[in-house]
Amino acid sequence: MTGKNCVAIASDTRMGAQALTVATNQERVFKMNNKTLLGLSGLISDVYTVKQKLDMQVNMYKLRENRDMKPSVFNNMLSSFLYARRFGPYFIEPIVAGLEGPDNKPFISGQDLLGASVFTDDFVVAGTSESELFGTCESFYKPDLEPEELFETIAQCMLAAVDRDCLAGWGGVVHILTPDEHIVKHLKGRHD
Amino acid sequence: MSPPGTLKKGEVDLGTSIMAVSFGSGVIVGADSRTSTGSYIANRVSDKLTPVHDYVYCCRSGSAADTQAISDIVRTQLGNHAVELGRAPAVKTAAKLFQRYCYEYKDRLMAGIICAGFDPVEGGTVYSIPLGGAMIKQPFAIGGSGSTYIYAYCDANYRENMTRDEAHTFVKKALAHAMARDGSSGGVIRTAIIDENGVERFFTPGNELPFTLQ
Amino acid sequence: MVEENRADKSFPHVDGGFNFENFKRNVSFMNSDSGIKGTMPKAWKTGTTIVGVVFDGGVALAADTRATGNVIVDKNCEKIHYIAPNIYCCGAGTAADTEMTVSSISILQEPLRDTHDTGQISSQLELLRLNTAKSSRVVTAMTMLKRHLFNYQGHVSAALVLGGVDATGPHLYTVYPHGSTDKLPYVTMGSGSLAAMSVFETSYKDNLTEQEAIDLVAEAIKAGIFNDLGSGSNVDVCIITKDKVDMKRNFITPNDQGPLRASISKPATFGYFPPGTTKVVSTDIETFATVTTDVEMLEA
Repeated sequence: MTGKNCVAIASDTRMGAQALTVATNQERVFKMNNKTLLGLSGLISDVYTVKQKLDMQVNMYKLRENRDMKPSVFNNMLSSFLYARRFGPYFIEPIVAGLEGPDNKPFISGQDLLGASVFTDDFVVAGTSESELFGTCESFYKPDLEPEELFETIAQCMLAAVDRDCLAGWGGVVHILTPDEHIVKHLKGRHD
Repeated sequence: MSPPGTLKKGEVDLGTSIMAVSFGSGVIVGADSRTSTGSYIANRVSDKLTPVHDYVYCCRSGSAADTQAISDIVRTQLGNHAVELGRAPAVKTAAKLFQRYCYEYKDRLMAGIICAGFDPVEGGTVYSIPLGGAMIKQPFAIGGSGSTYIYAYCDANYRENMTRDEAHTFVKKALAHAMARDGSSGGVIRTAIIDENGVERFFTPGNELPFTLQ
Repeated sequence: MVEENRADKSFPHVDGGFNFENFKRNVSFMNSDSGIKGTMPKAWKTGTTIVGVVFDGGVALAADTRATGNVIVDKNCEKIHYIAPNIYCCGAGTAADTEMTVSSISILQEPLRDTHDTGQISSQLELLRLNTAKSSRVVTAMTMLKRHLFNYQGHVSAALVLGGVDATGPHLYTVYPHGSTDKLPYVTMGSGSLAAMSVFETSYKDNLTEQEAIDLVAEAIKAGIFNDLGSGSNVDVCIITKDKVDMKRNFITPNDQGPLRASISKPATFGYFPPGTTKVVSTDIETFATVTTDVEMLEA
């Protein structure tokens, strides 16, 4: 979700094999650099693999260019990475959120497992609660929220949505990125 | 993987009635104009008479993608061959090129081709290259899904040494009847007469088909 | 013989670039009973109605703007892609395939790899233009697309409407996922193609003016938007003439929900969560080091 000079990614923390809950402290939102957050939903083994492969590309880019990758560049890199595996894809759906350029313009995008991007100004959603999240976000989203307000909105959207999804829940986590801070807040959620 | 000789899911089919007839001094090629995906007509005025050289044409049936790819390759190779040769290529050479691809890749292709044209040595010549990749020289050839309906008509009405006009009428009439009975053939009739003077193309609109049953 | 394995040297991009490292793994996932196959996300489709028509002196292309997965994932996506300054292309089918097949970003390769030998059609045309110093022809783009798609035997599911104006006049093609092409004065593609074609078959005539063409393609797309479930939202139109391209993004917006949503009265507090609403278990804050950009100038 985008706010005023800030972006946020929220995720639940359940990891399961179908209906069986295996772990309740699963992290799937990562800070790629000081301007870019990445959220990965889907098969957890692929989440780790893709995260590690992307980390390498981001680090190589920084070594080569002596600067951080912009969120939009990261999005394109991820897109080519996924499409290269068009006929043997990773089972993930990524969300990229970041601050772009010197004036820290919010950037968010979502992709499917083959790397087709969708760019919006307000919010993107992915994962098993996708349809519920669309409902809550379309209702609650307001433009130009300050980081504190953005946190409350995205957290409430997430918590309300996962309460109607058997395969998600057990607490949540919100990552907020501002020009000078990366804030991680763990949420109290229903344990069922 | 779909079995050999069948279309892949969603593939564009030429449906098709195609035909070629040799007469005294040249050949006539003809085709319907229907291209379909399943039961939807994707193109009702398609041109299945494809030139591969100045005096050599092919009539395409089967998968649109496969036959377009083959005829593109053959056109390139035949062009290069003609430049090396310094004169017009033989129809037999063109047919042999088609046959090479149709035979070599017969398990991956869905292409029934009639190759016909004029060369100074053999005059008007017709070759049929059916699904498995054979190459058969014939006085006339019919092909495509609609051809099954007109085998007997053609056998009964073909004569050696037809005049140009007689042969032309024969082609149009045979195709009109194939198009009438075959659901995946239809539209207009496109014909081309190839002889030593070059290629002359004809067009018979759908409301003027020489179909005798009213 | 460095290039002995290349079947077709004129199109070096066709010899691979895809990465199959997960292929066998995914096949075994799909064949297992563990339920892992349920974790495979669905690829996005464009759903789509796309059309094109040739008019007096140019080509008009148009598309709807809906992208679908399990739900509508994008209500205003762009389906008219740039190929060359004088050539554009509408895409239907798997979103990633249409996007990547025609897009200008270099793909089909490990990103940032040292050798960039596998660009895509628009990148390739750009290079061809730089090499030949001539503007691209539509038939060149069409041939590149059909060879690429034929090579992948229909597995790259991109159905395209390709239009442009070049030295030989206006041209309009359809390219099917298996690699066959048609050249026609008016064409439709995608799930809404039947609805759109019915408009063309009713109203098309030869030698349309530019304005008539714009109205006709917009009407055809609207038929798709309203009658085909896979198509929706807005109408994008692109007009290509000899020396000008006019991209009319959101030319018609027949499904604007703004006024309806604004008319629903909600309490002022609706959707406002004051700070402290959400129960937080823990908070970690990382403050970024401020980099001073002041540089002390040395005396010369």
